[in-house]
Amino acid sequence: MPLSEKNGNKKLTGHGRKKLPQFVRSMFKHYIFVYYLAYNAGLKQKMMNRYKKWLIGLVILLLAGAAVIYYLFTLKYDDTAIVKADYTVNAMEFIKEFKQDMAAANKKYSEKIIVVNGTVSAIEMADTTANIKMIDTTNGAYIIFAFQQQHLGEAKTIKEGGQVSIKGSCSNGAFSSIMEAEYITFKRCAVNK
Amino acid sequence: MKKTILSLTMVLAAGLLFAQKKTTTSAVISFDATTPIDALPKAENKTVIASLDIKSGTIAFEAAIKSFAFSNPKIQEHFNNKGWMDSDQFATATFKGSIVNLKEVKFNKDGTYAVTVNGDLTMHGETRPVSAKGFITVRGKLIVANAEFTVKLEDYKVNGGAIAAGKVSKEPTIKVVAEFN
Repeated sequence: MPLSEKNGNKKLTGHGRKKLPQFVRSMFKHYIFVYYLAYNAGLKQKMMNRYKKWLIGLVILLLAGAAVIYYLFTLKYDDTAIVKADYTVNAMEFIKEFKQDMAAANKKYSEKIIVVNGTVSAIEMADTTANIKMIDTTNGAYIIFAFQQQHLGEAKTIKEGGQVSIKGSCSNGAFSSIMEAEYITFKRCAVNK
Repeated sequence: MKKTILSLTMVLAAGLLFAQKKTTTSAVISFDATTPIDALPKAENKTVIASLDIKSGTIAFEAAIKSFAFSNPKIQEHFNNKGWMDSDQFATATFKGSIVNLKEVKFNKDGTYAVTVNGDLTMHGETRPVSAKGFITVRGKLIVANAEFTVKLEDYKVNGGAIAAGKVSKEPTIKVVAEFN
């Protein structure tokens, strides 16, 4: 005789425990389902929280990257007139320094902002340029200044033979086989006021 | 005696006025290496040394690499670095050539003359032959030389990462303008 029949309506489990009534079992099933849902939802929430942090981090990184790229691409040279000079020199002394040791002078002055005081020897005008030259007449060596776009007007007012103070970025010095003399070039210049 | 002195003076004056070799230290060379993804690699050098011998037709340029002025400091820094022009080691670019059709240019007559210039361009320590079409304009004593050509950067062993990435044109356009007084 089956055990369940032996004990009437009271059903027992394989270990001798009573089997829970159907409605309880169905409640329990619901409880499991609800617990499963709640557990899942919690897990999802935890995962969401974790992903949320990563997502926020990623967005911040992307924004920072975009900002850096934008900054680098839109970066422009400052107006030389307002940039602090690294050196102030006399034109003829400056030429002498380059003639004595070109390599050392290039290392010292290249890409530095320098104020040069001297006499204007020549003004070379062209469509897009107004270059000022200071020449050492004893040997033909010269300094040439190309002006920054916003200061081209100032260059055109400078008079040959006059004393002038020019601030600019020293490119470098070299020997010209065409001119057979040393020369020092400047770019982005402005009249030093 | 007076006539002799006068003649000599006139010959000297004419010689000075129509000196065969003309020079300038304010020639302009600009290059444009922009691409659809980067509009920044372009610059201008306004202190180029140039010479033109109107008798032989020889023409020469010397450009200090560090004199190329960019609007963007970062691009200028990259341009002078080892990956591009390595301007500390190769400080200047030079061109030596001659006008092929010199006979067609009348330096004593105002006008604009189409010319072809052949020569050797040296930059980044490499020398390669270059042929450029251009114009010579004569206006009184003023002679203006214009030319435009392209160069292949790989011919001059300029192979920076930005070139491979397409940010810098592999064949930039170079424009030259020189005014001789």
